[in-house]
Amino acid sequence: MPPETTFLGETGQLVRAVGRAMGVTLRNLFRTPVTVQYPTVKRVYPDRFRGILALVYDKETGEEACIGCRLCEYICPPQVIKVEMLKAEKRNFARTFTLELYSCEFCELCVQVCPTDAIIMLKTFDLATADRRELLLDKDRLHALGLEHEPSWATGNRLRDMQAPPKPAKTEAKPEAKAGGKDAREPAE
Amino acid sequence: MDTEARRVVEMGYGGNERLVMNMGPQHPSAHGVFRAILTLEGETVVAVDAVIGYLHRCHEKLAETLTYVQYPSIASKTDYVSAMTAELAYVAAVEKVGKIDVPRRAQYLRVLVAELQRIASHCLWLGTWCLDMGGALGGGATIFLYAIRERELVLDLFEALTGARLLYGFHQVGGVRYDLPAGWAEQCRRTVDLIEQRLDEYEAMLERNAFFLVRTQGVGVISRELALDLGVCGPLIRGSGVAYDVRRTEPYSSYEAFDFTVPVETAGDCFARYRVRMVEFRESIKIVRQALDGLPEGPISSRPGVKSVGQVRIPKGEGYTRVEGARGEIGCHLVADGGAKPYRLKWRGASFCNLAVLPHIIPGHKVADVVAIMGSVDPVFGEVDR
Amino acid sequence: MSELAGQALTGFIVLNVVIGLVTYVTLLERKFAARMQSRIGPYYVGWPHGWLQPIADALKLMMKEDVVPTLADRWVYNLAPIVFLLPCILIFATLPFAPGLGVADLNIGVLFFLAVSSLEIVGLFMGGWGSNNKYALLSAMRAVNQIISYDLPFIFAALVPVVLAGSLQMSVIVEAQAGLWYVLYPGLGQLAFLLFLIATLAAENRVPFDILEAESELVAGFRVEYSGMKFALIQLGEYAHMIGTSFLGALLFLGGWLGPGPAWLGPLWFLLKAMLIFLVVTWVRWSFVRIRVDHILAISWKLLLPATIVLLMATAFVVAWRGAGAA
Repeated sequence: MPPETTFLGETGQLVRAVGRAMGVTLRNLFRTPVTVQYPTVKRVYPDRFRGILALVYDKETGEEACIGCRLCEYICPPQVIKVEMLKAEKRNFARTFTLELYSCEFCELCVQVCPTDAIIMLKTFDLATADRRELLLDKDRLHALGLEHEPSWATGNRLRDMQAPPKPAKTEAKPEAKAGGKDAREPAE
Repeated sequence: MDTEARRVVEMGYGGNERLVMNMGPQHPSAHGVFRAILTLEGETVVAVDAVIGYLHRCHEKLAETLTYVQYPSIASKTDYVSAMTAELAYVAAVEKVGKIDVPRRAQYLRVLVAELQRIASHCLWLGTWCLDMGGALGGGATIFLYAIRERELVLDLFEALTGARLLYGFHQVGGVRYDLPAGWAEQCRRTVDLIEQRLDEYEAMLERNAFFLVRTQGVGVISRELALDLGVCGPLIRGSGVAYDVRRTEPYSSYEAFDFTVPVETAGDCFARYRVRMVEFRESIKIVRQALDGLPEGPISSRPGVKSVGQVRIPKGEGYTRVEGARGEIGCHLVADGGAKPYRLKWRGASFCNLAVLPHIIPGHKVADVVAIMGSVDPVFGEVDR
Repeated sequence: MSELAGQALTGFIVLNVVIGLVTYVTLLERKFAARMQSRIGPYYVGWPHGWLQPIADALKLMMKEDVVPTLADRWVYNLAPIVFLLPCILIFATLPFAPGLGVADLNIGVLFFLAVSSLEIVGLFMGGWGSNNKYALLSAMRAVNQIISYDLPFIFAALVPVVLAGSLQMSVIVEAQAGLWYVLYPGLGQLAFLLFLIATLAAENRVPFDILEAESELVAGFRVEYSGMKFALIQLGEYAHMIGTSFLGALLFLGGWLGPGPAWLGPLWFLLKAMLIFLVVTWVRWSFVRIRVDHILAISWKLLLPATIVLLMATAFVVAWRGAGAA
């Protein structure tokens, strides 16, 4: 819009601009506020929400899913996980499993590498506390959290299947080969 | 700080009726932690000494201790407002040195999220710039809250895609980590439609508003020669008449398949940079729509998902990649030595190079213009200090 | 003696009403601004809708520690809030809220109001100087510049209804609007009201003219070193001044207590009209970015002052011509 040069023209332009700006504000006065009144109202978290971490039990056997392989400990960028393995006859367990949630980056790499889908993230973040020691989660606390809250979609196998390139020359058409457009929430076998 | 400036600061008095004022690291409009030592004569700024380094977190050293699968989540913390492009710079450098292909679908997804991230970053830019100019209790806050309202919609999209709102860890070497969930494409289209409408509202509030124009036109002019000399990038150089956009000059990640214009303005002042970014909003929306329409089927990564920390090993070599972040050209120079960790990583932060203009363009303006100029330069100190 | 006691009692009541009004006006502003920004505003304190928020804020400010900078000029620093507050409250003494209801309906009411309301600059500058802070000093200097520049158009715009009514006494001005409110007066009224509003914005340090307290540059301006009750006094003074000029605008242009219904509704109409002006000022405040100090001064001296002088002269001619024409 070419700048006006006459006094009246400039004034008219200014008045119109002022009116436009105030009109936008007035229009917003009558829109519904976008505030979500947390904690009485919680918004809906998407399926892949990366919340706090937890350990789960195996669905079939009911045992702890964690085999103490320490892959999550090695991959964690800020090194907040510390695991000690407990060897047993049929399979290994984790003797201790500590996770320093106050330093956790929530990058989901530990979930990504877990071979048994033992460590997952939950759809909640609300663990606020006044004492940082409560955020040093030990194995019991992690299992308790896993039972309390709703888990997110992501587990190790699901993530790796979503990311894997198609396996060459398989007879059955794997659904992961066509990664686009499919409902990525269906778990692999 | 150089010795002359230190002497001036310690005196607290610049001689010649000059006042040395500190726009300190804690300041509502410093855009992060940035210290500017202004020498004032009355209301006019005579000299600027910029002090940075308050956010230094040793990214480059950290990259030497973390492997190629661990670092992408950390890379997003350099330019944390525009995290997708920052991660893209790192993984693109790794892929270039390691000669790793990226499948087509992954390239389109990378373009999609980079452009959405550009929209979100420019929303934040617009909001904070108007906040600085208009005050936390004033019209600036209104535009800030509107812009944040729109940015939240984009962050909701990212949350549905990756699970995180600000620092994603979306990229991995060889592709991306997450694929689109069901219903995401429709949500994305709805969001960009809504943002396009709201952009008209912002322009109505600002564009021909005499108050805004007197604050931004003719303020902080970066001449073409100065821009080319100092190596500024991004909307700063495009606002000064140089048509340089990495997406056009060195297309990466299948940008050559997209149809978009690169806005260029010649005035070089704050208003020109504002126009450049507003046009970039709309161009990014165009690219997002093209990406959604043309998204090819296929795998999202050419390498299997991360299973162990030393999974990616890159043979000896070095390379430099550049991507067009929201603030300018982000560069990543990687030296690999055959192991799972880089030998050396060097970030070229867009804001670091852009901040170099400040001592050249601020003197001569009033104190009130300092914030307008800082806002139009749009620094993010994660990039500056790394 | 009893008349003096009666006046003192009225004064005391008016003072308390004004302070209560000022505290609740802050809540009104916050809710209005919040709705314009797609959010809710104070909600939980005094649930719902934050009815007790101003009381909570006042209590909090009273309980805060009073921090005095070591190198501050003690006397100037401590006296500044009081010197700032006094004129801002004193202007309410001249406002009549209904015919016969007011502390003192002076026959030079408007002149007294305008003169006293300009005295806040002294307190403002004392605050900026006494704080021993470069930011505060810079803001105080800007403030003096701005308020002095804008007081002139403010006064001239406020004088238009005075000329139209032929008297400086506020109740006479309101009575003269019984037929037609001055804002509806063809041509002159609207222009005068508009200029009055713009000059009010600047004299109150409201955005777009709030260069005084530009938070992003000067972080609260001359108030930056004040905490606790002194800060509360300064805030009280600012909002009281704001409300005072809104009441003046309602009185001069919108017909004061005139309105349909029985006479005892008069003060209510007055209040509503003043709140309307206040809301318009708030609406403007939350819509614009601020302008630079040299542009502010240019607008005042090059645009508003000539406009108001010409307007006043035109009003004088119209009144003289009308007076000569009528019987």
